[in-house]
Amino acid sequence: MSIKIGTKTYADRIQEGIDNTFMRSAVSSAQGRFRTGRLKAAEELGDWEDWRTLGEEIRRHTMENLDYYLYQLSEQVEKRGGTVFFAETAEEANAYVQKVAAEKQARKVVKSKSMVTEEIGLNEALEKSGCEVVESDLGEWILQLDEDPPSHIVTPALHKNKSQIRETFVSKKGYTKTDDPEELAAFAREQLRQDFLEADIGVTGCNFAVAESGSVTLVTNEGNARMVSTLPDTQIAVMGMERIVPTWEELEVLVSLLTRAAVGQKLTSYITSLTGTRLEDEVDGPEDFHLVIIDNGRSKILGTEFQSALHCIRCAACINVCPVYRHVGGHSYNSIYPGPIGAVLTPLLDGYEDHKELPYASSLCAACTEACPVKIPLHEHLIRHREIIVEKEQKTTKAERLAMDGFAKWASSPAAYKLSTKMAGTVLKPWTKDGMIKKGPGPMKAWTEARDFPAPAKKSFRTWFDEREKRREKDGRL
Amino acid sequence: MNVSLFITCLCDTFTPDVGKDTVQLLERFGCEVDFPAGQTCCGQPAYNSGYTTQSKQAVKQMITAFEASEYVVGPSGSCVQMIKEYPNILKDEPEWQKRAEHLVGRTYELTQFIVDVLQVEDVHSTFQGTATYHPSCHMTRLLGVKDAPRRLLENVEGLTLVDLPQGEDCCGFGGTFAVKNAAISAQMVEEKSCHVTATTAEYLIGGDMGCLMNIGGRLSRNEEDVKVLHIAQVLNSQ
Amino acid sequence: MAVYNRERFLDQLAGRLGRPRKTTADRPAYSVQPQERVFQGADQDQLLGKLKEQCEIIHTSLVETTFDELGDTLRRVWEEGHIQNIVSAGGPRLEAYGLLDVYETMRQEGYNIHIWDEQGGRDYVAEAEKAGAGVVFSDVTLAESGTVTLFNDRWNGRSISLLPETFVAIIPKSTLVPRMTQAAQIIHEQEKKGVPVSSCVSFITGPSNSADIEMNLIVGVHGPVKATYILVDDKEG
Repeated sequence: MSIKIGTKTYADRIQEGIDNTFMRSAVSSAQGRFRTGRLKAAEELGDWEDWRTLGEEIRRHTMENLDYYLYQLSEQVEKRGGTVFFAETAEEANAYVQKVAAEKQARKVVKSKSMVTEEIGLNEALEKSGCEVVESDLGEWILQLDEDPPSHIVTPALHKNKSQIRETFVSKKGYTKTDDPEELAAFAREQLRQDFLEADIGVTGCNFAVAESGSVTLVTNEGNARMVSTLPDTQIAVMGMERIVPTWEELEVLVSLLTRAAVGQKLTSYITSLTGTRLEDEVDGPEDFHLVIIDNGRSKILGTEFQSALHCIRCAACINVCPVYRHVGGHSYNSIYPGPIGAVLTPLLDGYEDHKELPYASSLCAACTEACPVKIPLHEHLIRHREIIVEKEQKTTKAERLAMDGFAKWASSPAAYKLSTKMAGTVLKPWTKDGMIKKGPGPMKAWTEARDFPAPAKKSFRTWFDEREKRREKDGRL
Repeated sequence: MNVSLFITCLCDTFTPDVGKDTVQLLERFGCEVDFPAGQTCCGQPAYNSGYTTQSKQAVKQMITAFEASEYVVGPSGSCVQMIKEYPNILKDEPEWQKRAEHLVGRTYELTQFIVDVLQVEDVHSTFQGTATYHPSCHMTRLLGVKDAPRRLLENVEGLTLVDLPQGEDCCGFGGTFAVKNAAISAQMVEEKSCHVTATTAEYLIGGDMGCLMNIGGRLSRNEEDVKVLHIAQVLNSQ
Repeated sequence: MAVYNRERFLDQLAGRLGRPRKTTADRPAYSVQPQERVFQGADQDQLLGKLKEQCEIIHTSLVETTFDELGDTLRRVWEEGHIQNIVSAGGPRLEAYGLLDVYETMRQEGYNIHIWDEQGGRDYVAEAEKAGAGVVFSDVTLAESGTVTLFNDRWNGRSISLLPETFVAIIPKSTLVPRMTQAAQIIHEQEKKGVPVSSCVSFITGPSNSADIEMNLIVGVHGPVKATYILVDDKEG
């Protein structure tokens, strides 16, 4: 996989999403729970706006000094016996991991959930070099068995129901029990425990690296990331280059924001900070540790008006409040990063060509911006994208450009504007019935597919006001 | 107090009654209301669609139109918020940016103006019926006007307010979004309409004509009886 | 041990940021510090109250005991959970809490108890995999979230708190702090002094869980299914 997950057109994806009733009700109820959880956790914590401000300040400072902190991180990891590989591209990163796997003669690789490894297509690369790759996060495992891409960055299998999951387990793993979630999870536990014990290499992502100590912090609930970093002799952590904090003091703040914003928990069950290899007198944990730091297009965002998109801590709060996401689901975005942050990030990382519709998949209601724990102005970034698509990329239709040129002329000429308010009713008269237009012409057609359009008033406000002023002048004179 | 009415193109063209009520309401509290005829549209349809260059023409027209105003008051959170964006839009033209900042400092959404500037929370209006209120996104999240409309409505005699479930959700209007992403917008407005009818309120009140045209249009298509009113109409009701 | 491609990579970042490479960075004075205000001024008893409340939320039972009764309390946990095989963290605290003797007695009663240390090698991972319960001492306990912080080391292997079905944490009351802020400060201060952080710091909050299937909370996925905290009043001890 890469960032892009399929080849269907935008219109087809949207329609498929809208037609998927189960997915929509699952997403809607999940959003309700996430939202309640997040708001409750924020309220319990108190001073939420201060926390957000602090989160934003930390992220901004870190991005502005990213070269320094990555340097410090790599020094510390090396000091603690680890190897650090800076990868500019997905290919470089994959090749490095393949090389490590070959050196270890690895046959089995277990992974904990990591969006960045999805982004670079690490699983396919490892499979190509003959490794069996096992995703161990319950949601990711389900998707791996079913060969389905994630639709959410925190709960990747949100779009699947338990009977679909049961069927997958039955056909792929010989499962024989019911679709009770407890039984399904118990089966996963039993199956995956063997994989953990047998694996030669554990691959994890990285929620936050800590520069001062060279630590990689993983935030999970299931415990799979601990398995992956405890049992195999070799561990490879893969991180997007922006996933770093200066010290433990900043780590703590961002973890506090992440767990609340993501799932409404004060802390998740496991926050695990790993530093280098196990010590000589320790018996578990990796004896060989590799940290792969990935650019893959991120550095192009640095120093631009989109820099704050790199502040994202992948909590999905924006996704969980987005009404567009609720109605079309994650796959409609055709990116492993869906929702508002996906609509901002995907064109930055993967170009406008395949993703030019995403910045428009928002009513600009700003629920995302309001929910973001590190105050990324997501809806403003979407407007900036649109501006680039129009002005630099010129990827809009000629008809739209003509309409907007017309708008500019109309709105900058009070005379033309006034005339239009007078004429609107007459022009639309053929389509008007009982003060409503039920099937409009031209661009109005899209509107009237779903709703009525009011007929323009017989007399515009400005005409009424003019007349009133004239009347008053006359009265005054009398 | 001299107030220039910023009518918004939607109210001007489709719902002049909202404008009349706004004028009368402001006059009841001693404002001298004028109407700068040079005003057109705030430019938001172009700006939010990425046509910044085109939007600038509207923006400059508006800045010029309201140059001499003491206060500028509009019956729309979204259009007023657009004016707040002007300095940012004109960041490359310092002269214009300065003029934009001058305008921003004097511009208010109607209920914000009544509560914050006129310092009035009870407009002594009477309106019989049960209503639910849709807090529009730009008014609440971007302009930060959350309490003013509610406080004013709570003091209207005869009016019973019922909560709108998931009221903070967008109705799906989003300007050109409703046309460009009509399929998604349709789902959003249907959901909003269902929440409105679930309240069994007789009226839906809002502070933004765009949202009200959208939700009202869907309610009308679904042949629902709910009547849609702009908050100015309720506050000016006697 | 090596670092690859660093210079090229970081030069590029500096270039994008429009300045030369930075060789140092001063952390700014952040404008707000809300994390300091949580449970500020609370004493150990008040923190314990918060911990108890939180344990209800995180599906964790909390047992209070005294120094002298710690052994009996542990025995009750084994009995209730029908646990025969136990793996326990070792080190000086075992002796300080009198657990070496307690474990010896238990062994005579038929319990299998493995005390972790490096002599056991990788075999101890296999023992932990077979054990019904793993026992650890909390190094720092976070009242707000109900979290046990473990600085894993040669006496406290990562597997103990991970592989057995039941997770048992002995929490000396003196280890209670308001929240993760204080634990992070401890580590940060050590780092500044040049004392390196442990190879694995585990913040553990109750049993493992997942909500990946239709958002249903499932307690017990890859890690422990059950969590018990034993709070020991260590003031008099």
